Amino acid sequence: MDFGVMGAGIGAGLAAIGAGLGIGRLAASSVESIARQPEAAGDIRGAMILTAAFIEGVALFGEVICLLAVL
Amino acid sequence: MAGKQLLFITLLLLGNGLLFAQDHHDQAGDHAAHHDTAAVAVHDSASHEAHDAHAEEEGSSNVSKVMLEHILDSHDWHITDIPAGTDESGHPHYQPIALHLPWILYDSEAGLVFAANTHALVEKGYLPHENHVLKLKEGVSTEGLIDEHGHAHVADWAAFEEANGQKSATVIDFSITKTALQMILIGLLMLVVFTAVARSYTRRPDQAPKGLQSFVEPIIVFVRDEVAKPYLGAKADRFLPYLLTLFFFIWFSNLLGLTPFNSNIAGNISVTAALAVMTFLITQFNGSKDHWKHVFNTPGVPWVLKFAIPLMPVVEFIGLFTKPFALAVRLFANISAGHFMVLGLVSLIFIMGENGTNMAGAMTIMPLSVLFTLVIFTLEMIVAIIQPFIFTLLTAVFIGMAMESHDDHHH
Repeated sequence: MDFGVMGAGIGAGLAAIGAGLGIGRLAASSVESIARQPEAAGDIRGAMILTAAFIEGVALFGEVICLLAVL
Repeated sequence: MAGKQLLFITLLLLGNGLLFAQDHHDQAGDHAAHHDTAAVAVHDSASHEAHDAHAEEEGSSNVSKVMLEHILDSHDWHITDIPAGTDESGHPHYQPIALHLPWILYDSEAGLVFAANTHALVEKGYLPHENHVLKLKEGVSTEGLIDEHGHAHVADWAAFEEANGQKSATVIDFSITKTALQMILIGLLMLVVFTAVARSYTRRPDQAPKGLQSFVEPIIVFVRDEVAKPYLGAKADRFLPYLLTLFFFIWFSNLLGLTPFNSNIAGNISVTAALAVMTFLITQFNGSKDHWKHVFNTPGVPWVLKFAIPLMPVVEFIGLFTKPFALAVRLFANISAGHFMVLGLVSLIFIMGENGTNMAGAMTIMPLSVLFTLVIFTLEMIVAIIQPFIFTLLTAVFIGMAMESHDDHHH
């Protein structure tokens, strides 16, 4: 088994864990704030999607590096 | 409606190319088709190593090759492979149907070189390999150098290059590749859509939007009110044309990238890098005095870090470039990751089915694979509009930050 491929797999997993934690926290607090202040739901949702995309972007950076390592 | 006509012509041209490709199919089997000077030709596939995930021998390494081929730029607009009987040993044949795009090279010794397709290019003594083109020495046999997909078949490239390459010539590739052609088509599409919309605004002023107008108007208003105004304030209108162009260009290219027969251009790092460079230039050319002061003489930082050990200016200066870099990589990674996911899920069928030998395995994974692909595709439709939104938003944020003058910084 090639160690590079293994490392890339582990790396992809770590990137996914990081992004999962980030998006989980983000979703938890957004839902909480929407519950506290339903009239601001629209703004909160917009900010949530934007931030989620940022977090996802970081995870995808990791994924690109992993792909480069494998391919 | 000149707009509709133009759109029709564009579609017709594209469709015509495909039909032409199929006409030439009759010549398949005839080796003359390889040397056809027409831009479009179909040639027979003598090898078992098929373009799609049909390959028999190599299994998963072939899957990653297929995946890469779908993502990377190419000089052939490959559409599909069609089965074409079997050879003596029972291996199936596949014929690629592809639109061959012409090669346009600049050779420092021979000037401009044109070739209708890769086979014609090799006949002229140039061998494309990965991202560059090698000029062959005079008299090197070009027989059998490339396969029917236009890929060089050389076992030891470095040795081959050393022995047969003409080192004195610099060859630069200016060809309209698949990505470039798709970009031009999206440009034409945008031209058609937005000139038509602009004309209906002048023709029917102060009336409710109609047709295409009602499709793009809410989005334009959204970009103006949610992206441009909050970050650019009074100067929003100056940058709105650029922001809207970015938004619609990325959005259209993402949506077209998800439709069959189209190339996915935002999954090409060069395209996203070019967009990011434009944002970078606009940001820097609109930078206020305070912007440059913040870079080279950051207020509130001890002088030691600025002049004795110039750490802060260096960090700030690098920061100017990391922002557009992250912009380019984010868009590229998001879009190509989605395509990789879809390709990977589809490839699962071929991996589990052991390339057509294990029907039970393929049938087991197929429903799951189709379901997941559907889910990812839906996600990609959302990503297709979120990414242009983020790209434009960050562009607006960067320009706004650079334009800001910090007179009101102290409250």
